[in-house]
Amino acid sequence: MTRMFRMAAAAMLLAGAASSALAAGDRIRELKLITRPQAAQPSEFQFAQIIAQEWRKLGLDVKVEVMPWEQMADVVWYNRDKWDMTAWQMVGRPERSDPDELLYNLYHSSTSAKGYNFVGYSNPDYDRVAEAQRREVDQEKRRALVFRAQEILAADQPVMMLVHPRSTFAFDKTVWDPASVVNQGGIGIKNFWTFVSIRPLGGQRDIVLNSSDNVQGINPLWISGGTDSWITELVWDRLLRIGPDGLPRPWAAENWEWTSPTSITVTLRPGQVWHDGKPLTAEDVRFSFEAAMGGEAPMYAPFVRNIAAIDVDGDRITFTLKEPSAAFLTSTLAKINLIPKHVWEPVLADLATREENAESHQEKMPIGSGPFRFVSWTTNEEVVLEANRGHWSAPAADRWILRIVPNAEAALGMLRSGQINFLADFPGDPKVLVDAAAADGDLEVVSTTDIGFRYVAFNNRRAPFGDPAFRRALSSAVSRELIVKAAFKGFAEPSNSIVSPALPFWHDPAVDNMPTGLDLARQILSEAGYELVGGKLHYPDGVRETLAE
Amino acid sequence: MSGMRQIAGRLAQLVFVLWAVATILFLMFRLMPGNPLAAYIDPTFTEEQQRILMARFGLDRPLWEQYLIYLANLLRGDLGDSFFYRQPVFDRIMELLPNTLVLTFSSLIIAYGFGIVVGAWLAWARGGLAERIVIPVVLTTRAMPEFWLGMVLLAIFSFWLGWFPAGGTRPPGAEYDSLLALYASRDFLSHLALPVLTLAIYSQGLPLLLMRSNMLEVMREDFVTMARIKGLPRWRVVVLHAARNALLPVATSFAIAVGYQIQGNVVVETVFSWPGLGRELVNAVSASDYPLAQGAFLMIAAVVVVMNLIADLLYGILDPRVSHA
Repeated sequence: MTRMFRMAAAAMLLAGAASSALAAGDRIRELKLITRPQAAQPSEFQFAQIIAQEWRKLGLDVKVEVMPWEQMADVVWYNRDKWDMTAWQMVGRPERSDPDELLYNLYHSSTSAKGYNFVGYSNPDYDRVAEAQRREVDQEKRRALVFRAQEILAADQPVMMLVHPRSTFAFDKTVWDPASVVNQGGIGIKNFWTFVSIRPLGGQRDIVLNSSDNVQGINPLWISGGTDSWITELVWDRLLRIGPDGLPRPWAAENWEWTSPTSITVTLRPGQVWHDGKPLTAEDVRFSFEAAMGGEAPMYAPFVRNIAAIDVDGDRITFTLKEPSAAFLTSTLAKINLIPKHVWEPVLADLATREENAESHQEKMPIGSGPFRFVSWTTNEEVVLEANRGHWSAPAADRWILRIVPNAEAALGMLRSGQINFLADFPGDPKVLVDAAAADGDLEVVSTTDIGFRYVAFNNRRAPFGDPAFRRALSSAVSRELIVKAAFKGFAEPSNSIVSPALPFWHDPAVDNMPTGLDLARQILSEAGYELVGGKLHYPDGVRETLAE
Repeated sequence: MSGMRQIAGRLAQLVFVLWAVATILFLMFRLMPGNPLAAYIDPTFTEEQQRILMARFGLDRPLWEQYLIYLANLLRGDLGDSFFYRQPVFDRIMELLPNTLVLTFSSLIIAYGFGIVVGAWLAWARGGLAERIVIPVVLTTRAMPEFWLGMVLLAIFSFWLGWFPAGGTRPPGAEYDSLLALYASRDFLSHLALPVLTLAIYSQGLPLLLMRSNMLEVMREDFVTMARIKGLPRWRVVVLHAARNALLPVATSFAIAVGYQIQGNVVVETVFSWPGLGRELVNAVSASDYPLAQGAFLMIAAVVVVMNLIADLLYGILDPRVSHA
């Protein structure tokens, strides 16, 4: 009895060994990882090299392919089944303080063909949760759904999340009172709240700040460059604004009230006027939202798509929605710029007869109702705004002067020599900035964990990345601490969720601190049936490598 | 009469060169890898929006049709609308061109003035101690990269001594009634100083060495010997007889240098945050903004071609032998 059992066991073992050698799946082809050039994106280039190196230790052939952004975007975006892996980045913006935009657009299967789900992730369970959080108006219930979504993503690893970088800015603390500088969660000290509240200590009352990018346009109906949004936020008010805590708060609207899951009423703050002196009315508000819905401002169209009707009653405005939307406050009411009807009505009527849309309409003298008013714009050199003293939340500073400085070292030199007093953009090494501030003594540097993030995207459409276990193994292979130290010089936080820890209400701490290590990665691979043959990784038994070319 | 015909011929050549440049530019930007809409990729940007944008800029039409539209527009002086700024390219270029021309011409005039005088003097002082010191210094400054030189000047004169501002054309928030009022202001000159100095140091080598070698050659010619034999003072011989003739090739090199210099401005305009055409060109290329990049290149090509024409005509006046040839 025992003997027979032993023999049978031995036979089975032999058979098993033979089949593993003979029937192992195809050898996994050389995998390509796309990154941008070192000169343009030093951190990205660095982490791509480190990650490729770790993966090679698993028995994979990994090639790092370097491409400029235009080419990378073209391959990844327009040739969706032609690439394996790519480094990618999402930038933080105030309206991304609501998790909906990222949770839905990045991973809902409906955006896979042409939209932002360029990795081709498709999971019906995830789709259901992403849709449910979008409809749930009860904040606590919605939070549970947002957590659930993060947990599904952590288990599936559609991409390999790496870090949330830290945005680093600086200002001259002999010019500005450090206590009046506001650090907005996920955004940093360069934000609307700082510019409105920053208090001068002495005779220099102008905020002089830098940007390395040119201003594309100053236009309330066009979402143009990142720098441009600093200007539009100050010149044009919105019904709500995203507060320093990342949650919407009343602004041009005194309050809001959900009267049903698809109906919200806001009351306009009394006594507001446009920069040309005319009063701001509820009709102007209605006009502003209708302008976004009307086709002449295509970039704003997605934010108002859910509006079925707008009704005005005195200073109360009621929005009726097509379907319940929890993100409506953040992504619509805090997003749409209020524009004066008397200025824009004739302009939009004229544009309706021409091929151009509102994006090409650059006003000579932009008119908003925000805490700063427009003074001048010199092409590729500077933009000057001045404090709107009549505003109910008037700034403490006199003017806001944006200088275009394409040279990072020069921007730092200008800050140290007093030619600018707020460093709002520093594309250089943050370590250099911190060291310079330590040597200078007059500067204060503030680093803030960003809403944005950096990651390596796996093409889920393409073998072997269609297998969640394979993705999990690759993602587990690399220590995020190593990436933070080696590629970001410590100016980043390890990440395993597209909802940044800078948004404590929405971030699910349960997915943090993902265990990593090569042994763990090897274990996941062998449990899923992947085998090493002659030091090279093969697919599980019987699996052939097929690619849709 | 033949003079007029010569000018007409030169103008026809000029038009042909500009057409060739325009065609090469058109093809070059369309053969570059990448999609111009890549700059707009964003989760909120739908396929419909991309389609509208493609149609708005005619990118959905076949290449030959785009080319014909482009040429027809060029003839009407319409350089199209910038993808990136959504504004007419011509207007943007005209705003930036004056800044670039002021920078280019003032630095070249200083470089050539200095180069001609010192070059002539070095020829005079041939074999002396001055030559052994000055020539290596000139060669060294000529070899310094503009970027590095600009950063050194910034560090010393702006950040350390605080004598000059570090960037732009005007102090923060300063307003002027017109471009002319800006250019005539002291503020502007102090902003102009460091970029001009950088470019002048970078470009003085060529005219200086050219002038010196021309002078050495001319000084051996018969008419100079003749002037000396007549007993004219040495300075008169050098300045009035030799230098005038040695200047001719230097004048030609000036015209060509204008073209090179506008290219070289890319670096200096970036280091000193100068709002000029060079910086615009680099931004346009990296943003795949075809219309703007084409327009800026075409404008630079036009400046170079026109400067060459002027040099040719000027040569004829300076040296009457040329126009008869």
